Amino acid sequence: MRSRLGGTALLLVQAMLRDRWLLAGWGLVLVAVTYASAAATPTLYPRAADRVAAAQAIDASPAVVALYGPILDVHSEGELAMTKLTVLYAVFVALLVLVVVRRHTRSEEENGCAELAGGTAVGRGAPLAAALALGATTATVLGLLAAAADVAGSLPVAGSLAFGASWTGIGLVAAGLTALACQLSASTRTCGAVASSAIGLLFLVRAVGDVSVHWLSWLSPWGWSTRLRAWSDPRWWVLLLYAGSALVLTALAVALRARRDLGAGLVAPRPGPARGASRQRSALALALRLHRTALGGWTAGALVGGVLLGSVVPGIGSFLGGSAGRAMVVRLGGRGALEDSLVAAELSIAAVVVTCFAVTVMTRAANDERSGRTEAVLATSTSRLRVLGATAAVALAGASWLLLVTGSAMAVGIVLAGRSPHVLGRVLSATVVQLPAVWLVAALAVAAYSLRPTWAPAGWVLLVGFVTLGQLGELLDLPSWVVGVSPYVHVPRLPTEALDPAPLAVLTVAAVAVGAAACLRFSVRDVG
Amino acid sequence: MAQTRQDVVSVEGLVKRFGRSRALDGLDLHVRPGEVHGFLGPNGSGKSTTLRALLGLLRPDSGRASVFGLDPWRDAETIHRRLAYVPGDVALWPHLTGGEIVDLLLRMRGSTPGARRDELVERFQLDPGKRARAYSKGNRQKVALVAAFAGPSELLVLDEPTSGLDPLMEDVFNQCVAEHKAAGATVLLSSHILGEVERLADRVTIIRDGRTVETGTLEELRHLRRTRIRAVVAREADGLAEVPGVYDLQVDGRPGAHTVSCSIEPDSLEAVLESLTRAGVRTLTSAPPTLEELFLDVYRDPTPGRLR
Repeated sequence: MRSRLGGTALLLVQAMLRDRWLLAGWGLVLVAVTYASAAATPTLYPRAADRVAAAQAIDASPAVVALYGPILDVHSEGELAMTKLTVLYAVFVALLVLVVVRRHTRSEEENGCAELAGGTAVGRGAPLAAALALGATTATVLGLLAAAADVAGSLPVAGSLAFGASWTGIGLVAAGLTALACQLSASTRTCGAVASSAIGLLFLVRAVGDVSVHWLSWLSPWGWSTRLRAWSDPRWWVLLLYAGSALVLTALAVALRARRDLGAGLVAPRPGPARGASRQRSALALALRLHRTALGGWTAGALVGGVLLGSVVPGIGSFLGGSAGRAMVVRLGGRGALEDSLVAAELSIAAVVVTCFAVTVMTRAANDERSGRTEAVLATSTSRLRVLGATAAVALAGASWLLLVTGSAMAVGIVLAGRSPHVLGRVLSATVVQLPAVWLVAALAVAAYSLRPTWAPAGWVLLVGFVTLGQLGELLDLPSWVVGVSPYVHVPRLPTEALDPAPLAVLTVAAVAVGAAACLRFSVRDVG
Repeated sequence: MAQTRQDVVSVEGLVKRFGRSRALDGLDLHVRPGEVHGFLGPNGSGKSTTLRALLGLLRPDSGRASVFGLDPWRDAETIHRRLAYVPGDVALWPHLTGGEIVDLLLRMRGSTPGARRDELVERFQLDPGKRARAYSKGNRQKVALVAAFAGPSELLVLDEPTSGLDPLMEDVFNQCVAEHKAAGATVLLSSHILGEVERLADRVTIIRDGRTVETGTLEELRHLRRTRIRAVVAREADGLAEVPGVYDLQVDGRPGAHTVSCSIEPDSLEAVLESLTRAGVRTLTSAPPTLEELFLDVYRDPTPGRLR
């Protein structure tokens, strides 16, 4: 056993050195948001009565509950302060762990570095052990720092620790999940897709559970995070759920790793066509061919997610029990208006999620360029403009398609749950208005890649930054021009609000301008 | 047809900087129509950078480059329609099969995969139905070679094309180059395998640190280089050590048969022969420098272009 894990410490140190900026940057943002949320709450809600009212308002809105989870104790200051962080921001904790665990397992196997290391005296199990150790360390340190940030923001110590432990728990589960996913396929992308789909599914299960079928939330680590009751009389045993599932997932990953060869997946790759189809003759055909599997997976996810999101919409009225809830319904303009606002809220989340597809297309383009595949295409009679245009088209059209699929599926879900089919038009128009914001952010991701292939991850930074701005804006009472940097906040929230074409036109024009600048840049820079 | 006499590739004073380092530092390269031009240089000397500048993938900082008399940066697509390129590091799309990639690259160059493509797949013993992820280095190389050789092209730009190939496949490669040459194609061949260049190339250019050190036919280069001489003489060859341009002199003295061996510069040949004749030469062998010797000589020489 010792020899199989030999060199783990060495690999772990190496991995930490390689990832120091990623870990520091991502961690810093999360911890800073935690502190800001903790410290801002007394200012936002000076009196206990304000906090209770705010907590009740959150619980009264299924859209917010679907996104952030419920507030179980409306009298708890900590639970209110951490409402966005407990569930939604824990996704970002999980994603950070996913990224680092995959980087040091499957990515290394795919690019051949693992083979180079495997030829040394490093044990066979060491790379996986080191990656898991890095994931666990990340989760633990992040949990401790988040707890410290809460304490610094003058929240109770015990609650802060329990909250931090929930982040650590989510991180540990994500580490096990990613390690398992990375055993399945020889492709880094496929493994990442499996892991992130699992995270998405668990989040969705919790969302449905929190809004309607309550026991479902117990099936998801994100459900555990609220049911831990970190801030009032914590159920410490919930922490065992995280630890137990992390251990099971890790054990499965280790067992699978022991059964497979380095670099191989569980399923041997099948042979494919010996000839290229005659329509495979252009950069666009190639880009479609490269992304069709991913797009298919995303489309399936958009369909399922859309129907689920839609199906909870008509149930919203009955969800609002009690006099406070009924009063809120009336204040929001009746039951129909409440459903509309839920549709708008869900679609604004969908807009962000489908933009992720566009960003992955562009980061993959950067990967193709670094590997020399873009060079192979440019050495044919394909112009630079066509190469960039094809990739950007797949990114933008793909994201638009996914948004439309989500919107349509939502409408189907709403109709399935008992509303009249007339809702389709309202939901679709509410979907379409989101498109310009998606285009602009996607165009920015294209521009980041065009500036320099190594800058393609800036697409992620921008996307996360815009979402964070939208989230933090109201919390920190930021000036509107700061929040307004995010394209997403300019989208009129149809069907609740009226259609204002001006911001949509501005967003579209900005997207076109950014896209044109990206094309200009790509046609004059060095490639490779 | 003045066009045909023009250099297919012409590079003058090409400079390319990456940050502070100068990858190309005034490089010259001229490839004539119909020739196989060997492009030699140590690792990191700028061979791949030059080829990538010729494809318009990089923009040179100064100097002039032309391919078919066109500007590789401005007219990249027009040029690419007439050439085929095999990169030094062949990277393929992991999910696509070798056959799909060959056909895709051929179609993107504007030609149609036909009988020639099937024949080459056969000759290179490539399994076209395998996903590229599963190919070994040699097999990836074959994919790029089949795609390059299967279409008509006026110019083949080959960057260390036989790396990873087994000797049988190297042989197929040599035949393919010969066939394209016979069909009138020009070949720019960057390589480290000197035997390959010696066998295939009509002219060579040797570069170092981004600069051209030598260029010419192998014969011309050999004239500039030392000849290795080995002779058996009756008496001690007086004064041989004092002749300028004689290096590595070794004398194995036995009574009546001294064995003399040394390297000499072309200009010293006459003086050396005189000295040996005076000493009563019995046998004499002289070997022109191999490309390997030329190569090592140029690489070790700190001042480019200086004769030794």
